[in-house]
Amino acid sequence: MNNLVFGKYIPIDSLIHRLDPRAKLIGLFLMIAAVFIPKSWIAFLVIGVMIAIALLLAKIGIKMIVQSFKPMIVMLLFLMLINSLSIKTGYVLFSIGTFDVYSDAIFNTLFVIVRLLLMISITTLLTATTNPLDLTLGIEWMLKPLQVVHFPAHEVAMMVSIALRFIPTIIEETMRIMNAQKSRGVDFENGKLSEKISAILSLIVPLFSVAFERAYELADAMEARGYVPGAQRTRYHVLKFNFLDYLFIFICLLVMVFSILSRFYL
Amino acid sequence: MPISFKSLSYIYNKDMPYAHKALDNINLDIKEGVITAIIGETGSGKSTLVEHLNALLLPDEGSLQILDYEIVAGVKQKFLKPLRKDVGLVFQFSEYQLFEETIIKDVAFGPLNFGFAPEEAIKRAAEALKLVGIDQSLFEVSPLEISGGQKRRVAIAGIIACDPKIIVLDEPTAGLDPQGAKEIISLFVNLNRKLNKTIIIVSHDNEMVYNYCEETVVLSHGKIMYHGKTTDLFADKEKLKEFNLLEPQIVELKNMLIEKGFKISSEARTIEMIAKEVAGQVKR
Ligand SMILES: Nc1ncnc2c1ncn2[C@@H]1O[C@H](COP(=O)(O)OP(=O)(O)O)[C@@H](O)[C@H]1O
Ligand SMILES: [Mg+2]
Repeated sequence: MNNLVFGKYIPIDSLIHRLDPRAKLIGLFLMIAAVFIPKSWIAFLVIGVMIAIALLLAKIGIKMIVQSFKPMIVMLLFLMLINSLSIKTGYVLFSIGTFDVYSDAIFNTLFVIVRLLLMISITTLLTATTNPLDLTLGIEWMLKPLQVVHFPAHEVAMMVSIALRFIPTIIEETMRIMNAQKSRGVDFENGKLSEKISAILSLIVPLFSVAFERAYELADAMEARGYVPGAQRTRYHVLKFNFLDYLFIFICLLVMVFSILSRFYL
Repeated sequence: MPISFKSLSYIYNKDMPYAHKALDNINLDIKEGVITAIIGETGSGKSTLVEHLNALLLPDEGSLQILDYEIVAGVKQKFLKPLRKDVGLVFQFSEYQLFEETIIKDVAFGPLNFGFAPEEAIKRAAEALKLVGIDQSLFEVSPLEISGGQKRRVAIAGIIACDPKIIVLDEPTAGLDPQGAKEIISLFVNLNRKLNKTIIIVSHDNEMVYNYCEETVVLSHGKIMYHGKTTDLFADKEKLKEFNLLEPQIVELKNMLIEKGFKISSEARTIEMIAKEVAGQVKR
C-alpha cells in the first residue's frame, strides 16, 4: 500500500512546492491541453524538455514517474498488439513470418505512450508538490463561479478536503490492522479461498468500525468549533498570487500556444 | 540469547526524497525469561524495533536472530507463521483488531490460524480470557459492544491464547485507567514468573518499568543509548539527565530512606520489597 506513488504528496520544499495551488491547477489544464494538441515529434520534444525542467525544479526523481507508469505497461502492450493488427498504413517496418507490421502502427502506439508519460509527469507535478489541503482550496476557488447557479462550491471543497485528509489516515489504519492480524497468523497473500475470505473480513470489519468512529469524532469536533454548512467563513490561510505564479502561468500558456502553432507549422 | 539484533538498520520510505532511518545500526541481545523494558521519547524507533520481532518489518541492513529463526537483510523468509506463533505481539491500541461475532471466537482466531484444532482453540481462548479477567458471561457477546478497557483485555487474550514463547507489548497500558493498567502489567509479570515467558514491554511509565522490568533498553533517534539493569540506570543521575528521563518516585523514596540511615539494597524495586527491608531494620 505504501508503494503507491501516483498522486502522493512529497512533503519537501522546492520552487514548485511554493507556487500558489491555483497557479498550478491552471498550469495543469494548460499543459494537458498542450500535450493533446501536437502531432509532431519536435513539439513533443519541446514540451518534454519543459516538463523535465519542472520535474527537476520540483525535485521529483524520474523513479517516481517510472513507478507510476509501470501499471500501464500491460495495457500499452495490448494496444501495440491491436494497433499492429488493425493499422496497415505507412511502410512495412518489419515482418514476423508472413505478418507485416506497419510503421504507422508503431508510431501511433509511441504517440500514445509519450502522451501518457507526459500526462503522468504533469499530474505528478501537481499532486506531489501541492499539499492536499491547498489543492482543495485551489479547487474551491476554481468552482466559485459556479456558485452563481447555486452550486455548493464550499461544501464540495470541504468534502473533498476531508476525504483527502483522511486517505493517509485510513491507509495507516489499514496497515496497522493488517499488521495486527498478521501477528495473529493471518496470511494476506496465500491460502485457500475460505482463508482468504476470513483474512479480508479480519481487515474490513475493524476498518469500518474505526472509520465510523473517526467520522463521529470529526463531526463532533467540527460542531464543537461552530462549523455550520453554508455559513459565510473567513480564512486562516489566504491564497495570494505573486510574480512567480504569474510567470508560471505565462510559461504554461506559451507552451500551449506553441503546441497549437505546431499543428500548423511543424 | 533468544533475541539478538546484529548491526540492524531500518529505513522508512527507502529511495524516496524523504527517506528516514528509523533504526540505526542496532546491536542488542535480549535475555531469555526476563522482562525487558524499551523506553525512549516518541519517534525514537521503539515500535519500529518491536515490529521486527514479528517480521512485520524486515531489516534493510544487518540481521536478527529470534529463537531458532534467523532474519537477514535481503533474504526472503519462509518461516513467518511459526515465528509469529512463537512471538506474540500486542500492538499499541490493540482494541482495534477485534472483528469476530463473539469474544470467544475472536480470541480463538489466532490459535485457529496457527493450526490448533477447533476444540483446543476454544479451550485456550477460554483460559486466556479467564487470565485477563473477562467473565464467562461475556464470552458470547460481540467484541465491538464492550468498553475500551475490556476490548484491550480481549485483544491481549487473543495473543496469550496462541501460547507464544516471547510476548512483546507495545505501550499496552496507554490510555487505560491506573487500576486497569496495573492489572494488565501484573498479568504479564505472572506469565513471566509462572511460565517463564520472555517479555518485552515498550512503555512510557517509568514507575512501572522500575517496579517490574529487570532490564531496560533506552532508544533515542534510532540508536541504543543504554542497555542494562533497570536499577543501575535509574540510580545514575547523570544518565537520567542525559536521556531526559524522570526519576521514579520510588527511587526518590529509596534515596530518602538511605539518607535517614536505612540500608536499602539496590535490588529492591517495589514498594513491598522496600517496606520489608525497612521493617526488618526497624525491629532491630
Ligand atoms: N510508516 C511509517 N512511514 C514513515 N515513517 C515512519 C513510519 N512509522 C514510523 N515512522 C518514523 O520512524 C520513526 C520511529 O517511529 P516509531 O518506531 O513509531 O517510534 P516510537 O514507537 O518510538 O514512537 C519516527 O520518526 C516516525 O516518524
Ligand atoms: Mg510507538
